[in-house]
Amino acid sequence: MKVSLNWIKDYVDLPEDLDLKQLAYDLTMTTVEVEGVEDLAERFDKIIVGKIVEILPHPNADKLKICRTDIGGEIKEIVCGGINLEEGMKVAVSVPGAIVRWHGEGEPVEIKEAKLRGVLSYGMICASAEIGLGDLFPAKEEAEIVDLSYLECEPGTPIADALGLHDVLLEIDNKSMTNRPDLWGHYGLAREIAALYDLPFRPMENIELDEGSKTMALDVLDSDRCPRCTVTGIEGVYVKNADYEIRKRLWEVGQRPINALVDITNYVMADTGQPSHAYDAEVIKGHITVRRAEEGEALALLNGKELKLSSDDLVIADDEEAVGLAGIMGGKKDSILATTEKVILEVANFEASAVRRTALRYDNRTDASSRYEKAIDPERVDLARTQCIRLFMQHYPEMKISAWNDVFGKKLKCSEIDVSLSWLESRLGIRIGNDVIADKLGRMGFKVVFDGDNMHVTAPSWRSTGDISIKDDIMEEVARMYGYENFEATPITTSFTSAINQLDVDLDRKLREYLALRCGMQEIFTYPWMEDRFIDAVLGSYEGMFKLSAPPSPTERYIRSSLLPNLCKAVEKNQYYYDEFAIFEGAQVVKDRNYTNVFFPNEYLPEQKKNIAGAFVAPNAKFTDLFKKAKGILENMSRYTHMETLVFEKVEKPVWSDENVWLNMTLGGKVVGTMGLLSARVTLDCGIKDKSVILFEIDIDELKPLTSRTNHFTHLAEYPINEYDVSMLFDTKVTWKDIEAAVNELKKGHDTLRDVVFIDEYRGKGIPVGKKSVTVRLMIGSLVKTLKAEEITECANAVIKRLKKTFEAELRA
Amino acid sequence: MKEKLAALFEQGKEQILSAKNEADLQNIKAAILGKKGSLTEIMKELPKLLPEERRDFGQAVNKAKNELSELVEKHREALKLKSAEVPQDFDVTVPGTKPLKGGLHPITQMCYDLNDAFRSMGFEIFQGNDITSEFSAFDTLNFPPAHPARESMDTYWLEGHDTGDADKKLCLRPHLTGESVRYMRTHKPPYRFVYPGRVYRNETTDARHERAFFQYEALIVDKDLTFTAGKVMIKSILQKVFGKDVPIRMRAGFFPFVEPGFEIDMECQVCGGKGCSVCKNVGWIEVMPGGTPHPNVLRAAGLDPDEYTGFYVNIGLDRMVMMRSGVDDVRLFHSTDLRFLDQFC
Repeated sequence: MKVSLNWIKDYVDLPEDLDLKQLAYDLTMTTVEVEGVEDLAERFDKIIVGKIVEILPHPNADKLKICRTDIGGEIKEIVCGGINLEEGMKVAVSVPGAIVRWHGEGEPVEIKEAKLRGVLSYGMICASAEIGLGDLFPAKEEAEIVDLSYLECEPGTPIADALGLHDVLLEIDNKSMTNRPDLWGHYGLAREIAALYDLPFRPMENIELDEGSKTMALDVLDSDRCPRCTVTGIEGVYVKNADYEIRKRLWEVGQRPINALVDITNYVMADTGQPSHAYDAEVIKGHITVRRAEEGEALALLNGKELKLSSDDLVIADDEEAVGLAGIMGGKKDSILATTEKVILEVANFEASAVRRTALRYDNRTDASSRYEKAIDPERVDLARTQCIRLFMQHYPEMKISAWNDVFGKKLKCSEIDVSLSWLESRLGIRIGNDVIADKLGRMGFKVVFDGDNMHVTAPSWRSTGDISIKDDIMEEVARMYGYENFEATPITTSFTSAINQLDVDLDRKLREYLALRCGMQEIFTYPWMEDRFIDAVLGSYEGMFKLSAPPSPTERYIRSSLLPNLCKAVEKNQYYYDEFAIFEGAQVVKDRNYTNVFFPNEYLPEQKKNIAGAFVAPNAKFTDLFKKAKGILENMSRYTHMETLVFEKVEKPVWSDENVWLNMTLGGKVVGTMGLLSARVTLDCGIKDKSVILFEIDIDELKPLTSRTNHFTHLAEYPINEYDVSMLFDTKVTWKDIEAAVNELKKGHDTLRDVVFIDEYRGKGIPVGKKSVTVRLMIGSLVKTLKAEEITECANAVIKRLKKTFEAELRA
Repeated sequence: MKEKLAALFEQGKEQILSAKNEADLQNIKAAILGKKGSLTEIMKELPKLLPEERRDFGQAVNKAKNELSELVEKHREALKLKSAEVPQDFDVTVPGTKPLKGGLHPITQMCYDLNDAFRSMGFEIFQGNDITSEFSAFDTLNFPPAHPARESMDTYWLEGHDTGDADKKLCLRPHLTGESVRYMRTHKPPYRFVYPGRVYRNETTDARHERAFFQYEALIVDKDLTFTAGKVMIKSILQKVFGKDVPIRMRAGFFPFVEPGFEIDMECQVCGGKGCSVCKNVGWIEVMPGGTPHPNVLRAAGLDPDEYTGFYVNIGLDRMVMMRSGVDDVRLFHSTDLRFLDQFC
């Protein structure tokens, strides 16, 4: 909302030395956020009133003229294409350094002395739109320059002086005053500023109408929806321009002046925050009724929208039909016309939430509805009606009020709140004297009565529509008027009972840190919705997925039940930048099933699990290394993150994996995660080219963090442990797991056989088809002595013999 | 004989010092001092000497043997040291090998920084759910029934769960505060916890607006707290994030779930409070809302607002990272672009 400081001054005298930055700061700190402060006259810097002395033809252009213009003490030649130029005319001249918009469009540019079609032009004779005055001085045609001949000022006078454009405009963030309907207008804001600086406020004087003419028929059939309605018949008006001062103020706060009848109601809304509406009395058949609409009733709005109304809507109607949508917009039928001579001024109060419902129903929010939505005090009707009548009288001294009425069906009760002073002190952290509290609250219109520890507060009507309703509201009023900056930060004290021990939270972090910091993976974040293409490719089914009512895009509708589709999308995206990379994400996945009641009685929430998933990516040729790297990271995860050890086994194949290259991770036989190679088909469908992708996904909620570290110490070997490497040829069907088991079996009879470690597997050149060479390292050593070479060989030979026997393996030459 | 010994001794010294490596040295040692070495051989000529000469000569040979043995060991050590030497023209300006790539997302980093700070002040860390009901997201937070945030323009509702009673309507959580109430409902007061999480808003995106972004909520609820207790929390957060004390101000702000409510501004870190384009010339930047939980919110949490009060702040993590690292487009956080993320390891 734009606020004019001159307008504020109608109601409060601001001190001469008030620093505007300070005002903006103080308002921001205590009441509403001031987003900007603008000195209006600065817009018109270097724009002056000039007088055209002589008009000469331009030697090179028919449409251009050379205007010899008096700009105050000197005559300058200015080239101009205006169509209404006349000698002796006063015009707006932009001299070098002024900022204008060519033809009122585009970016602002700075005026410089320049040649126009070969003739030097000192400055520019402007159209109103070119200097930002288009709405205040509307031009009939584009090339019409603004005629200021009516001004009685000397050439050279700055235009800001000549047109009275010395004002300061405050830009207030509307969001910051949603809870303060009383501030939506200059009057209310002036009242707040007066309270802030303890300055005298000049309330508007009410115009009392003759009780004898309170005869206009008016029916209000729903006083809950319309607590108050006033109508005033005004005769002897006609369409003309409003006074310059009125138009100027409207223009300053961003509204376009139209004609006096419309401008008056707009002005009063900007002034008091109370909407009003003037109906052309001629088109109102019979009398005005405020009623609920009939279901399906038709209403054409002023802006041309044709509505089919709901019975939840409130309308202003005459004897025949609805003529306006209450609190939102007038109807087309009764709009002010060039022929209007009599108006019915309606100033009414409507219930906030119903206005909001109706405005949203027809997507037709207006300045009026947005004010009603905030809940306006019905007493404000008096202010607005008084101000309207005053302005009508000012514009039409000959006008007459024919009849009026005021149906005040539902009075507002001012909020009354008891506040304990000791409570107030404990919340504020300091004791503020009763006199100070009474003063701060009193300035804002609150009545305060003290009785021992109790303070009985009565809020003014303009703060009683919801804004002030509980004692915490009173505390806020006291605190902000006292100044938030004047409260010292108080330390937080606590009683210590036990250390924080959140194993699940810590495990979540350990997992991420393990993958990122120890294993060199990059954490990524993706959206909770998935693209259809990747669901199709990776999961192949939409079963159990939630869908958004209003998705971000038509192909991103489903909420993830797995992290893998989005991971694949991230792989697809990054494959062009990196040859090899590894990424992971930890986030929630949800399924439309297993609803549980967490706390609130009737609230059931679906299955939501925390997963962690990753992708390892490398060129196809490096598949073996990639697999070993991925498996190594997952196998060692339990150890490094201190959780129960995951077992790797094949239980259920994931849909996206290669036929053979996949494994489940289990805990106590239950599958808690899966890893595998993305199948060639899925890889292709994801648009991933010539890369092997190993994926994994683990349900974090199923993991079991250890309550403490369980690393157990074993004595360091006292006697040497010897490494003995053996390479043997096996059938390719023999797995490492089988070999390892066979060697371990042998430990029973050979206590010098300490361990067996996988070193390498080789297929290809030199190895027969169907065979593979496996190199194992035997760890051979005794607990009680240093072994002799023969003893080591003897142990190794036992292993070789066993492998030969069990797998028909052959020792490689 | 003496002359021969002297010659052998000199020759041995020379041979030993000329050895280029340990194997050479070993051979030379054997050739001089071994069983058939030159000095061993010369001893065999001892009987040729006069008896009175034998003692002296024997001693002389032993002395020569000992000296040469010492020389061998000395030279062996010299050779060892020499072989351990690296080339003197080795280029130490060659860059080192980079460690493994990878790292935490910058938002996770920020979150962990804050977690550490709050843990040290005795706060628990709460992790809530992405999907919540309208009841939890709005009703428990004192949002009036017609509040605009409830409508689809702001909240992502789930199809098939988007009509009916508030406790039946499901959405992606639009903020964290609703789940904070659930935390309070399921734990015993007093409360002191932080709640990091992602929230979702149905908005048009641009460099400053995202549909999914991270909030960090901190809540303290206890008896006899003053509303300014929150200043300590806020200062701690900014201290942690920016590594120094950052001036803050609390000013009037309105949010349905707090009373009183504040907008909390920090001094603009770009201009140091002097005023610049980033802070629109005011020297302050709005960083978080905060305030005392509204009595209705405390009631929804099952507490008596006459007994308990508290302080709440909610920080936008994305914004904090943007300010700390100079990121100028919020959409990068969900871009999954490794060229961006690589910069934060």
